[in-house]
Amino acid sequence: MAEVHVIGQIVGATGFSEDSLFCKWGIHTGGAWKLLSGVREGQTQVDTPQLGSMAYWSHPIDLHFATKGLQGWPRLHLQVWSQDSFGRCQLSGYGFSHVPSSPGIHSLHCVTWRPLGGWREQLARAFVGGGPQLLHSDVVYTGADRYRLHTAAGGTVHLELAVILRNFSRYGVEC
Amino acid sequence: MSHQEEKVKIISEEFVENEDEEAEKLKKMKVQKQRRKKQMQDSSPEEQLEGAANLGFQQEQQPDGSEPNLLNTTVRKGPRNLPPLPSTSRTGFAEFSMRERMREKLKAARSKAESALLQEIPSPKPRSFVSLKEEGTGFDEEPGKNVLKEPQEEDSQRSARVKFRDSGRKPKFKPQVPPGFPSAEEAYNFFTFNFDPEPEKDETKDKSGEESNQEVEEGEEEEEEEKPRQEEQGEEELTNEKEADAFLLDLDQTAPDFLAIRAAEYESIHAIQHKEKEILFRPSSVTVPIYKKIPENMQPRYLEDEGLYTGERPMVPRTNQNIMENRLLIQEQERKWFGDDGRILALPNPIKQFSTRPPIFSREEVIEAGLETLYKKALNYVPNKQYIVGSGDSLGQFQLDIDISGLIFTHHPCFSREHVLAVKLAQLYDQYLARRQRNQTKFLTDKLNALRNAVQTLPDSTKPPGSGHTTRESVNKYKFEIRQTRRLRDAEEEKDRTLLKTIIKVWKEMKSLRDFQKFTNTPVKLFLRKEEVDWKIDEKAFEAEIQTETNELFEEHEEEYEKKMEAYRAEYQDWKAWRKAQRIKKKKKKTTEEQDEVTEETEHGEEPVKPTPPVPIDRSTIEQQVRERALHNRRKPGEPILVPELSLAGNVTPTELCPRAEILRREDVRKRSIFLKVLFNNKEVSRTVSRQIGMDFRVHFGQIFNLQIHNWPESLILQVYETAGYGSTNLLAEVFLPIPETTVFTGKASIEEVEFSSNQHVALDHEGVGSGEPFSFEADGSNKMILMTSGRVSNSVAWAVGENGVPLIPPASQRSLGIRRKVDAIASIGASSLTDMKKLAKWAAESKLDPNDPNNASLMQLITVATSGDTYVPEFFRLEQLQQEFNFASDEELNRSKRFRLLYLRALEVPEFRNFKQVPIYDREIMEKVFQDYEKRIRDRGVIETKNHLDVHRARVAKYLQQVRESVINRFLIAKRHLLLSDLVVEEDVPNISILGASLFKLAEQKRPLKPRRKGRKKVPAQNLSDGDIKLLVNILRAYDIPVRKPSSSKLQQTSRSLRPFSETFVTSPSMQSPAHTVDTVLSQVLVRPFVEVSFQRTVCHTTTAEGPNPSWNEELELPFRAPNSDYSTASMQSVKDDIFINIFDEVLYDILEDDRERGSGIHTRIERHWLGSVRIPFSTLYFQGRIDGTFKIDIPPVLLGYSKEKNLISERDFDSVRSLSDGTYITLFMTIEPHLVPGESVREKMTDMLKKFDSQEDEKLLQATEKFQVECAQKFPKRQCLTTVTDLSGKTIFITRYLKPLNPPQELLDMHPNNPQATAELVARYVALIPFLPDSVSFTETCDLWSTSDQFLELLAGDEEEHAVLLCNYFLSLGKKAWLMMGTAIPEGPTAYVLTWERSQYLIWNPCSGRFYGQFDTFCPLKSVGCLISSDNIWFNIQQHDSPMRINFDVTKPKLWKSFFSRNLPYPGLSSVQPGELVYQCTDKAAASELQDRIEKILKEKIMEWRPRHITRWNRYCTSTLRHFLPLLEKNQGKDVEDDHRAELLRQLGDYRFSGFPIHMAFSEVKPLIEAVYSTGVHNIDISNVEFALAVYVHAYPKNVLSVWIYVASLVRNK
Repeated sequence: MAEVHVIGQIVGATGFSEDSLFCKWGIHTGGAWKLLSGVREGQTQVDTPQLGSMAYWSHPIDLHFATKGLQGWPRLHLQVWSQDSFGRCQLSGYGFSHVPSSPGIHSLHCVTWRPLGGWREQLARAFVGGGPQLLHSDVVYTGADRYRLHTAAGGTVHLELAVILRNFSRYGVEC
Repeated sequence: MSHQEEKVKIISEEFVENEDEEAEKLKKMKVQKQRRKKQMQDSSPEEQLEGAANLGFQQEQQPDGSEPNLLNTTVRKGPRNLPPLPSTSRTGFAEFSMRERMREKLKAARSKAESALLQEIPSPKPRSFVSLKEEGTGFDEEPGKNVLKEPQEEDSQRSARVKFRDSGRKPKFKPQVPPGFPSAEEAYNFFTFNFDPEPEKDETKDKSGEESNQEVEEGEEEEEEEKPRQEEQGEEELTNEKEADAFLLDLDQTAPDFLAIRAAEYESIHAIQHKEKEILFRPSSVTVPIYKKIPENMQPRYLEDEGLYTGERPMVPRTNQNIMENRLLIQEQERKWFGDDGRILALPNPIKQFSTRPPIFSREEVIEAGLETLYKKALNYVPNKQYIVGSGDSLGQFQLDIDISGLIFTHHPCFSREHVLAVKLAQLYDQYLARRQRNQTKFLTDKLNALRNAVQTLPDSTKPPGSGHTTRESVNKYKFEIRQTRRLRDAEEEKDRTLLKTIIKVWKEMKSLRDFQKFTNTPVKLFLRKEEVDWKIDEKAFEAEIQTETNELFEEHEEEYEKKMEAYRAEYQDWKAWRKAQRIKKKKKKTTEEQDEVTEETEHGEEPVKPTPPVPIDRSTIEQQVRERALHNRRKPGEPILVPELSLAGNVTPTELCPRAEILRREDVRKRSIFLKVLFNNKEVSRTVSRQIGMDFRVHFGQIFNLQIHNWPESLILQVYETAGYGSTNLLAEVFLPIPETTVFTGKASIEEVEFSSNQHVALDHEGVGSGEPFSFEADGSNKMILMTSGRVSNSVAWAVGENGVPLIPPASQRSLGIRRKVDAIASIGASSLTDMKKLAKWAAESKLDPNDPNNASLMQLITVATSGDTYVPEFFRLEQLQQEFNFASDEELNRSKRFRLLYLRALEVPEFRNFKQVPIYDREIMEKVFQDYEKRIRDRGVIETKNHLDVHRARVAKYLQQVRESVINRFLIAKRHLLLSDLVVEEDVPNISILGASLFKLAEQKRPLKPRRKGRKKVPAQNLSDGDIKLLVNILRAYDIPVRKPSSSKLQQTSRSLRPFSETFVTSPSMQSPAHTVDTVLSQVLVRPFVEVSFQRTVCHTTTAEGPNPSWNEELELPFRAPNSDYSTASMQSVKDDIFINIFDEVLYDILEDDRERGSGIHTRIERHWLGSVRIPFSTLYFQGRIDGTFKIDIPPVLLGYSKEKNLISERDFDSVRSLSDGTYITLFMTIEPHLVPGESVREKMTDMLKKFDSQEDEKLLQATEKFQVECAQKFPKRQCLTTVTDLSGKTIFITRYLKPLNPPQELLDMHPNNPQATAELVARYVALIPFLPDSVSFTETCDLWSTSDQFLELLAGDEEEHAVLLCNYFLSLGKKAWLMMGTAIPEGPTAYVLTWERSQYLIWNPCSGRFYGQFDTFCPLKSVGCLISSDNIWFNIQQHDSPMRINFDVTKPKLWKSFFSRNLPYPGLSSVQPGELVYQCTDKAAASELQDRIEKILKEKIMEWRPRHITRWNRYCTSTLRHFLPLLEKNQGKDVEDDHRAELLRQLGDYRFSGFPIHMAFSEVKPLIEAVYSTGVHNIDISNVEFALAVYVHAYPKNVLSVWIYVASLVRNK
């Protein structure tokens, strides 16, 4: 019966080797959570930084959850994609971050990674683009053993999220 | 310092010199021996002193430090001695440097030192001094290399040894010296000692050879011996001092002479060990026997063997362990370090057995399914994949393997009787085999025996009474068991026996049948194998069995008897007691009075029946029963055991030998073949080959179908088809196969037999018994059987396994749960897919899992939880464990929350809640009724409600429309997702040179501030608005030709003295006294006082009253606008259904002064208003058009009592000829919305986009041509409508000409005026107009315009202009007229469709929605512009300069005026029409119409009463019935030319009443518009106390449920 508002934006991304980035995002919650309003997932525009190296999206996120339990606190998963000069898109990073659990404005930095693939794939990626992607993208946020996954670090996605909690104290959750 | 420096300088020289000299010295060695020795003795004392200065301290300490190292420190510690080394070396150096000066100095120093030495000799430690001196000499003899390596540490040891070993042994240490780096002193020594190594060495060797055997103990003596020798040396030195030169040469030779050289001292390892043994303890590495390690008299205990978890010990080498054990045994006496098993206590190995760093997996290896990656090429952006954050295309290929091995008929129409029996036999035999395999009888018999034995072996319960309780209990239990078992066994035995009997019986039947028909059809043969048994044993066993059984039964009965007896006794006692009491009572009563006979009687009634004692059971009868049963159920003693055996060894009679009927049957069978279709999700995916039915009715297929599937399988059906000969195939049966579990893979799946049966009836004319037909085995035809075709399909269905061993199973739902499923407690220990807890527990027990092993802890807990019966184990798998336990609130609570619900619904954009701006924060602030409407709507979704529609058909249509709407909206929403760049980004055009030029030119233009310039209003997007912001502005300018009041009839005149119209009174008031009727009437004719009332959304505004039939108001009215649900979004605004009613009333004033005398002092009048007509403009039109400006025809009821339009009056006035052409009443007005709303993308504009997105079945070329055509047209005349393709109801794009085709109008209409084509056309137009109008923008909110075909239109009975126009055009075409569909814009509809016909040298324009027609040059024609004309085979676009119908030429053959779509370049391809071939009309049920009529009337009456809450509403029945009669007449004449008759009749009948009323004519769609129409007339507004009302409704039914509704409302006021 408690409520969580998540209001904020995906500010942008830094540190990616590619420019012309865009980001697909989604919120994953446990079964106890119910989305009252807002959109669970979305995609930003493609930003090609003209000045500096940071890609700015300023993509709004506005979600209102009702929950009957703490389990499955919302987590944000991101996919950063890059678009090359031919307009083709390729994956440049998966990232995941929990929505902060304390009320207030939070500035998050979500680091990302991408699967490396075998040498052939790396070679192909370097020359013709594309690249390995996860078949099941929920690996990004589920706790499955992924130590076998060989990854390379991507850049950082910057988020600004304001969290408003309601009624949590009624259920003995201090925040 | 000086030493060191010198040393460095001369190193090189020395070595060279040394070598040279050495050669010499070797020669002279012997000679010089003596001399040298003396020299040595001379040098040593003086060196000693200096050395003492340098090293004394160091040397002193070392012995102390090394003391603990020495194992045998028994020794006498010598006096402190100083090392001689430096001093000796120095002498050497000085001599060998060959520098005289130095040598002299040295000599001087030596003498000095000598003197000092001499002084020292008598010091208390003479011996040590000597020894040191000797040592020094010893070093002299050393070869340089050795010295160099001598480490400092050794010094100490040696010097210590020196103390107690004599100097002669010194050389022994030399080889012992370990390598090392020399210190400064040592280096120094090295150089100084180097002078004559070789010769000396020889001698030392000799010496050592001599003295090598000397013992340590001898050292003392030797030292003593040496003492004098040293003294001698000292003397010699002194003597040699004088001959300095000779000294150097002789020194070598002299040294060996007085040094004792011995063998190197060596202590054997054994000796050392021996010595060490005394002081050191070394534990042995021998294994310690176990008895030593454990306490006495105890056996070692191995916990591991006892099954306890001990863990794995860390790895320690065996020897180390032994050593430790030995040590512990000696050091720690109490064995606390040893465990029970005699080993040292140890914790389990804490080190992980496997390495934490996982092995590196090569890329080629298969990685875990969840972590697979897929190389994807860089893809061009695909727009419809924009929401693929979830797994987008992970759905791979899934495969289902269906193996159909064969089919067996258990019954088939072609079965002969024998087959039937054979199948029966086979079934019975199968049953028999199954029973035998289970052998329940034997099992039960054994059990029974065992139980009996148990009872017997139990100690007799009677004998030991003490312990008897438990045994008796168990005996009872056993007995109960025995009874149960016996009963079961009996039943089983009986079954066995009957089965056997039936088998034999069937076989006999079969044999007799074969005999009878003289041929055999089946190879079935039954053998009965007899197993002979020994009669005697059998008999005995039988008897024994019977006896025991009898005994038991007897016992049982006895017990029962006992019980009964007991009960009887108790009852008897009661009864006795009662009798006694009774008797006493009676006595009492007798003694007193005999009054209470009644009570006595009642008591008698209650008297318990005297219980009867139970009958004891006779043993013999029981035995009799048992025997009987046994004979029935069991094999009689001596009877052989019969074992049936079924074989197929029999031979079938060849066909030639069979009778004709049988031959026919066999041929028929041969002709038949069977195949199976495989249906996946009700779609046929494959079929087997067709196989003939064998003679044994078995069909073998043996085919495997691999279904590659994309959808989750919902159903899997096999259809059995039979083909007879070359004839048709017929479906025998459907076999539903279960979708296999996800654990069933190919290879694992077993063949299963699925039964099927068919319900078809087949009767055959040959031997075949048919299916579903009764047949009999008996000759007389009795005992009939009916068998249906049935059989079994053996098949197996399994999921395929991919190449890499991955099963090709789709995830459980579309979401991939695959990974989560793997994170499973049970799977993690390797026993995957064990879902049954019981099985798991069993498995755990079998595999002897150690319960103490922490590895198994979780599993063990799981098992204990699962197996302990009292805990509840849910049968479901919960994804989020412990979720429930930590929940704040339950689901119900969450769902109950009104706030959440409201928020959720608002987010879902449910229409009722879409516009909620703020949702209250607390539940209590939300009213429950908020949801009522919504819930009602949801509830009623499936229910066709007739309440609002009054008509079942229309209700159904409404529902259908609703469905179409929903599906179209869904389609549209999908299409709407396809956003183009222009949808998101507004890019202003870069100004080109012409625009720039124009604007520059504008700058140069002359300024004319006085010239007013029109400024466009600012457009406001509707979303930001709220209630009250929007206003509707209606500017009413003037009206023409308003009906004027008619002079009252004479009858009325006479009676209306006091109640005359006010105007009348006003006019006549000057001549009040004179009854000037004629003047009165003339004047009153002129006067009509009309005003206009605009009502919109129940808000009413009206203008002032003007006078005369052509009034001019010129007034602006302002009406507020409220959007439904306060939603001002474009979508919502477009779907506003409200209409703007513009009503014209006549204001009539009545003077109601009661008394004429008061006329001078007061005015008492009543205002009445009489409705004259109305104009209805839908709001949506206004919204889309922005403004409406023009002259509209007023709908005036055909009969307007009391009013007429006098042509002559009008003609008096100044009017133009154009207007006279029409006979209507017109109003000029201007309407707009303030502020100017952006109407959003209009439906049509959007449609063009949509058209591209919806799919089409048209030819690609044609579509391209249409696009081209439209673009060309739009370039020339962007404002003119050009339509080439439209969307049909299913959302497909269709070329527009396909809609036009001659279609027959209802025959009924044609029959009405068979000779008057004009009238027929009008009638047809009227019929079309009667179909209700429903704008598309309202029905399909925000979606595009959909065109339904004419039959759909008639079925739906609702449509907008296009549908009406298409239908009308089709009718006209079928009537033989030249007709076109005309697209254009009209007022007030906006873009619309009209019909153009060519009639007798003139064009007529038909408004399909009103049924009116206009000539081409009619100024009041609402059509204002013409875009294109469409016929059934071409489209013509208007390329003339003007588009007003009056100014254009409709001759489409002129290519300069009309651009045709199909031309020579693109000939008409002959498109087939989408319209049906013929329209079928069914007559509407008249009864239903009249019923509807009654209901409408009732509803309207109720409404009128509702609108008059403060007054009584009386209904004048008489008038109503009159009106009701009149209405059909109106319908017949279409409202023309009936007024006068009607009026006359009314006057005749209702002469006493002042009457005002009119009929309203409408097309019927729903009740609501009718109510609105009645309301807008304002009839109910009369509030005279004695007013009466009349209301009549007439519904005329046209074919196809088209209803024309007439409503006659009237108000009557009785004239006084």
